[in-house]
Order: sequence, then structure tokens, then C-alpha cells
Amino acid sequence: MESPIEANGLRRSFGDIEAVCGVDLSVSQGEIYGFLGPNGAGKSTMVRMLTTLLKPSAGRARVAGFDVATEADEVRRRIGVALQDAAIDPLMTGNELLHLQATLHGLGRKEGKERGRELLDRVGLTDAGDRRVQTYSGGMRRRLDLAMSLLHQPAVLFLDEPTTGLDPSSRLNLWEEVRRLNTEGTTVFLTTQYLEEADELAHRVGIIDGGLIVREGTPAELKAAVGSPTLRIDVSPDQFGTANEVLGRFGEQRPAREGRLAIGLDKGASRLTDVVRALDEANVSVLHMELDAPSLDDVFAEATGRRLEGQAE
Amino acid sequence: MSASTPTRTTNVQQTALGPELHVRVGPVARALVRRSLVAITRVPSALVPILLMPVFFMIAFTGSYSAITNIPGFPTDNIFNWFVPYACVQGAAFAGIGTGFSTARDIETGFYDRLLLAPSSRASLILGPVGTSIVRSSFPFLTVLPLGLLLGADFPGVLGLLILAFTSATVSIMSGLWALGVVFRMQTQRSLGLVQVGIFATLFLSIGQVPLAVMRGWLHGAARVNPTTNLLRMARQGFLGGVTWELTWPGLVAAILVVSGLGLFAVSGFRKMEK
Repeated sequence: MESPIEANGLRRSFGDIEAVCGVDLSVSQGEIYGFLGPNGAGKSTMVRMLTTLLKPSAGRARVAGFDVATEADEVRRRIGVALQDAAIDPLMTGNELLHLQATLHGLGRKEGKERGRELLDRVGLTDAGDRRVQTYSGGMRRRLDLAMSLLHQPAVLFLDEPTTGLDPSSRLNLWEEVRRLNTEGTTVFLTTQYLEEADELAHRVGIIDGGLIVREGTPAELKAAVGSPTLRIDVSPDQFGTANEVLGRFGEQRPAREGRLAIGLDKGASRLTDVVRALDEANVSVLHMELDAPSLDDVFAEATGRRLEGQAE
Repeated sequence: MSASTPTRTTNVQQTALGPELHVRVGPVARALVRRSLVAITRVPSALVPILLMPVFFMIAFTGSYSAITNIPGFPTDNIFNWFVPYACVQGAAFAGIGTGFSTARDIETGFYDRLLLAPSSRASLILGPVGTSIVRSSFPFLTVLPLGLLLGADFPGVLGLLILAFTSATVSIMSGLWALGVVFRMQTQRSLGLVQVGIFATLFLSIGQVPLAVMRGWLHGAARVNPTTNLLRMARQGFLGGVTWELTWPGLVAAILVVSGLGLFAVSGFRKMEK
């Protein structure tokens, strides 16, 4: 059976700027595919192409079995999209928006009403259905957006940074809903800047940077490929050079924020005592020390040479 | 923690409702008109400029241009008969600006993406806003006309009234298509400045204020070829005498040509936006 999402050499330019530079991608049926990258990496351009909102400059992509450029309507019938910022008319009520969405997708009045009621119930907005969206919280808007994207029972769901700006509790609720949809058979393409989100939800992760996929695999595979855990230390600025020299004996330097040193600790935690002893012998006073097993952030740093924006180290 | 490998598989074709659907133009266009009406009921103050501007122009022009009825050969001695139809047409033109504004805002906020993501016919995304223009134009029409009649305009007769209503609706379609064409190309609310300039220039470089006979120089030439001139002649018939085919057909031809031209302008703008 054909993959629900398949891209080959997909490119998109805006004038001289190439936002997506030849992406190959294949998402399996029933998979949650996490698409990870910093702002400006090409995530949204990629989603806009896959959802028919933007025509590729070159290459081809098929979604739900249809070409996004030449069979856009067929693609649209089969996808649900919750775009970044949950752009929903604040003057309308949740029920009115669901009704509009049902009409846009050709659902009859009765069917649209029933589906709308079901979905409002599912996302916990039944009581807020007759309220104007301008009175909704950010989390409620996202849930309504999700409900609207599910109204026509799409086979493939695109979620473009669905939890950006949400509080932790709303984020967890949305994750739960995405998992539930996935277990019901929906293939999910999830773009996110949050490593934790990709780690929690995605079966496979693709990391995009500069318009290219630089790493792809299951979170476990990607983390294992990074290898050794990351040792991070903070020292006073006057001891930075000495500490850097000492740490260099125990592993390769890794990207870290200014004022902090990081290395991939060869042979893992067993060498930690040796590091502490060496630093002590060199009269380096350590202000802070931490040892982290590889995370997706390390995968990202290893692949791109920098950390994801907005992520704590 | 990573999510576990998916175990369930479902056929793409079977889960989607889409394949069995044929989303028609009418219901979607109607839904978009309904949405604009909902917005008007929720924020009625948005209607104030559409209502006030033509009323203001009608009062201002009838006051400042009252003496033009003394010009030999001027078609009426009642200044309201001259300006009330013009104010109705102006109100209809301003309705198109409102449609352009709503569309530009939807594009900027991302709401328009929701419409583009629907499998409905692209025609509905132009016909809906154009329908909205017509509905919006009815508000100034139903305000200016009774007020004008109250202030002294002569009743144009049922046919004259219908022709004025038809012309107003046509002008609202034209201004709506013009606004959409510009907004689709520029995709920002800043484009509305250009929309307004186009509409004001078209209205003012016509026989809106004074008859063609009293115009001189380039203004005369511009007003003569401006299709709005023919539309205004058609709209004013009931107020300036009887309705005649001689004054109607040039208006109809102008309406067909301009609506077709601006329709192509809007459609090509839409296609450009989709690229």
C-alpha cells in the first residue's frame, strides 16, 4: 500500500531564497511523524506544500495517494490541517465555525451538526460551543482548531506546531488527543519546535535545517547514534581555557551556550570521577556540573552544530 | 520516552469522507455571505463608515452643488434627483472596499488558509465575497434612498427604483472584484489604499458630480470613456425622467464589460496567490 505522505526532491524557492532544498520523505500508514527544526528551517513551507497551500518549485509529493500539485482537491478531501496560530474567526462561535467547516467540506447540515457535536464533546468544548471564540483561552482555540480539522474524518492529519504557546496542562491534553487519534488509525504529520513533544509523540522524527532533512529515524535510533552522554560544566570565565583543555582529554567538544562547556563523555558515566579529579588537579572550581544521556537536542546539535531555539540546555 | 511503533493500519481511501463528496459552489458561497452577516451583527459599528460616507456625500454635494441646477440644459431642477442615485452607487462601491478589507484580514490572520484547504470549488471563494459585497451594498442603499426621498428627491417609479437597485448591486460586484483582485495580489490590508484610490478615481472621474456637457479638457475625456458614466446614466433615469432603452443598454454593456474584466482580474489574482 502507498505511503500516506511521500515526497521526492521537493523544493520551494521564494525569489533567490531556497526555503526547501530537495526533501525526500516517506511517512508510513498509522505513523506519527515528528518534523523538527528551528524557526526558518523550512518546516512550515514543507507543510504548506504537502497540504496544497503552496506549489512546489520542483520535485513531487503525494499525500493520501494523490499528487499535491496536480490532484490538490483529492488531497484536500483526505487531509485535516491545524495550522500554526489556530487562525479562527474570533467573532464566530465554536458551533458556527464547525458549521462553516462542514459546509466547506460538503457535509450535509444534519451530518455536519452531528459530527460537530461529537467533536466538541471529544475535545471538551461542548459547553463553550455557543460562545464566541474571542472568549476562548489559547488551549480552547487549539482544541477547536483540532476539532475543525477532524470534521470530515481525514486519513492524514497535519499539525503545525499545535502546542506553541500553550500551558503545560493544555499541551498534555492535546498530546493525549493526538495519541488517541493515532490509535484510531490517523496518520499524523506533526511539526514542532519542542523536542520533548517529538520525543513523546513521534514514532519517527525528521530534523530539518536550512531546507534539508539532516537526520531521520526513531527517537531511540537518533539518540543512540549520537553516542556518548553530554557532560556540561560551568566555570568562572578566568578558568574557562584551563577547563576546556582538561575536558578535551575526555571527549569531543559539543555545542553549548556561552559561558558553558560541553563534551561528549567518552565511555560514559564511568569516566565522571576521572573528569572531576582532573579538574581538581588543574585547580578548576566547578560552579555547576551535569551529565545528560543523549536527547533529541543533542541529536539536533550534532546534526546542525547548534541548539534548537528556545530549548533549555 | 518514545512512542511505540504503530501497529494499526487503516486504508487511506476508506477513512476519508472526501471521495464521496462533491462540494458545490452555492452552499459554500452562501456560507461565506452568512459569515459576513454574522460579523456585521456582532460588530455593527463596522457598518458606520459604509452608511455615513454616502450620506455625508449626498448632504455635502446637494449643498455645495445646488446651483448647478441653474445651468441651462441641466436635466433636473431638483438637486436631490441628481445626487441621491450617485450616493447609492457610492455606497455600493464602498461596500466592495469592506469586502476587500475582510478578505485581506482573513489572509493576514491565516483564516483564508482554512478556505483554501477546503476541497470546495475555487469559484466559491470569489463568489462568496462578491455576494457579501451585494449584501453590504444593500445597507447604504436602504439608508440613502429613504433619506434622499425624505429630503426631497422625487420617487423614481418602480422601474426606476429597480434599475437603481440593479446598478448599485452591479457596482458593488465591480468594486468587490476590484478589491479582491488587488488584495489577492498584495495579500495585505495595506493594499486597501490602492483599492480606495481606484474606486474614488472611478467615481470622481465620471458624471457623478456634474453632467458631461459642463466638463472641460481631460476631465471631459476621462468621464466620457469611464464606464461609470454609463452606469450612472442608467441609475439616474427614474429620477431624471422616464426609463428608456437608450440610456439602459449602454449601462448594461458597461456592466457586462467591466464585471467580465474585473472578474478576470480577480481570478488571475487568486491564481497568482495560489502559486
